[in-house]
Amino acid sequence: MLEIRQLDVSYGYLQVIWGVSLKINEGEVVAILGTNGAGKTTLLKTVMGLLTASQGTITFLGEEITNLPTFKLIKRGLSFVSEERNLFPAMTVFENLILGAYTVRDKKKINDALEYVFTLFPRLAERKNQLAGTMSGGERQMLAIARGLMHGPRMLILDEPSMGLSPMNVEAVFETITRLRSGQTTIVIVEQNVNTTLRIADRAYVLEQGRIVLEGTSAELRSNDQVREMYLGIC
Amino acid sequence: MEMLQQSWDIIVTAILRGGLYALMAVGLSLVFGVMNIANFSHGEFYMIGSYFAFFGITEFKFGPLPSIIFAGLAAFAIGMIVERGVFNPLRQKSKKGWLMNTFLLTLGVSIIMQNGVRMIWGSRYRGVTQFWPGRTKIFTSMEIANDRLVAFIIAMITITLLWYFLTYTRTGRAIRAVSQDETGASLMGIDLNWIHTLTFALSCMLAAIAGASLLSINPAFPTMGVNPLYKSWFVLILVGMGNIWGSIYGGLIVGLLETISIYRFGAGWQDVISLIIIILILLVKPSGLFAKKGVKSVLE
Repeated sequence: MLEIRQLDVSYGYLQVIWGVSLKINEGEVVAILGTNGAGKTTLLKTVMGLLTASQGTITFLGEEITNLPTFKLIKRGLSFVSEERNLFPAMTVFENLILGAYTVRDKKKINDALEYVFTLFPRLAERKNQLAGTMSGGERQMLAIARGLMHGPRMLILDEPSMGLSPMNVEAVFETITRLRSGQTTIVIVEQNVNTTLRIADRAYVLEQGRIVLEGTSAELRSNDQVREMYLGIC
Repeated sequence: MEMLQQSWDIIVTAILRGGLYALMAVGLSLVFGVMNIANFSHGEFYMIGSYFAFFGITEFKFGPLPSIIFAGLAAFAIGMIVERGVFNPLRQKSKKGWLMNTFLLTLGVSIIMQNGVRMIWGSRYRGVTQFWPGRTKIFTSMEIANDRLVAFIIAMITITLLWYFLTYTRTGRAIRAVSQDETGASLMGIDLNWIHTLTFALSCMLAAIAGASLLSINPAFPTMGVNPLYKSWFVLILVGMGNIWGSIYGGLIVGLLETISIYRFGAGWQDVISLIIIILILLVKPSGLFAKKGVKSVLE
């Protein structure tokens, strides 16, 4: 579904991503793991057209999307929930959600999507008229994910969804992802919370200093000594 | 009783004056909030609005209202061309020093427009004597020219329509989204380039409507935009940069300050008095009267 071939990305003279290739199939949940500064977020932002690739190609649903402007990718069915969440703080929860369906013209579809995200996150339905900027971290993350689902994406990319959340909220976020995978949404998840992530993901790639150093099914990675040592803290 | 009557006159005059400042300031604020541009060519769109209304009446024989609408639409089109031709290319190239560079660009646009108009149409005054003949008495005291009254009503209707557009329509919401979080907006599938062009054009249209509806009171000439530009900057600085709804109150406040100082100290003192009071207010509230802490919000 999404295929990245030999991708290089640089910030000015500083190259951050080195020849990364990966493939994500329809219906999978794929994790991208790695320590701070390994280039995970850079990789995702390049896929989303927020950063420019200097080399390599990205294809989505069989069409090349390398360096296309972000708003065009949304129309093609990609959705990105960034680490910063990028909510609209002075708008209500409802308005944020409606904007999530900006590319959808069909009123009925928008209402269905609203209903769907309200069943996923009943809390958002209660807070419908609250300003997004006044919500707690957990609620904001829920809103960001819900907003990312509003246009009915084929693939949802989550950047550190558990970042800055209390353990209870982390649990809730992962529960949501498990529920989403039973739908038809393909999910790519970047996480530092390796243990939990490997429990819900089908496959994972491990990124280190801008290169893919390991890949395999979650079970394989969980039994891999290097991963156990570096990320799971089990020696 | 006479005191009361006088205060009433002052308030009515202030509101009529302030309504048009508000219309100018709202456009300026919109561009600052959404595009982060300190637009010093805003007055020139007021000026061409005035010219377009003049030609609408004299050349095309439109009525007053169609002329004003024509002026607004023409300025909208010119605003689109200016944005695509000047700010958009810079945006694609580099956002370094954006605020300063765009400020200089708007100064350039202002000079080009002023002198372009002088070249094409000369520098003589072009005005019409009346849009809507007659005067109206509001609560017995003084008589107000109908033109002033209608200009105020047009300003209020325009602001109301803008408010509705920004609050309830899909595109209006997109404009607010861009002002609050650009990355977030593009992740919603919003084309930032289009929203920027539209915002700039809308702002030009608002200025042009202000200029056009005052044509019978202020005739058109190339440098007529300077004064309204300064007035709308007074308003913006007073209420806080980029606070578009605050600009409406700001317009009325500046209108009131000016009217009182003209009444008390005579014409010519109004800028001195209103600036002194604005400075005093800024000493107490440096980020403006309606600035909010924390949330970076422009369009609420």
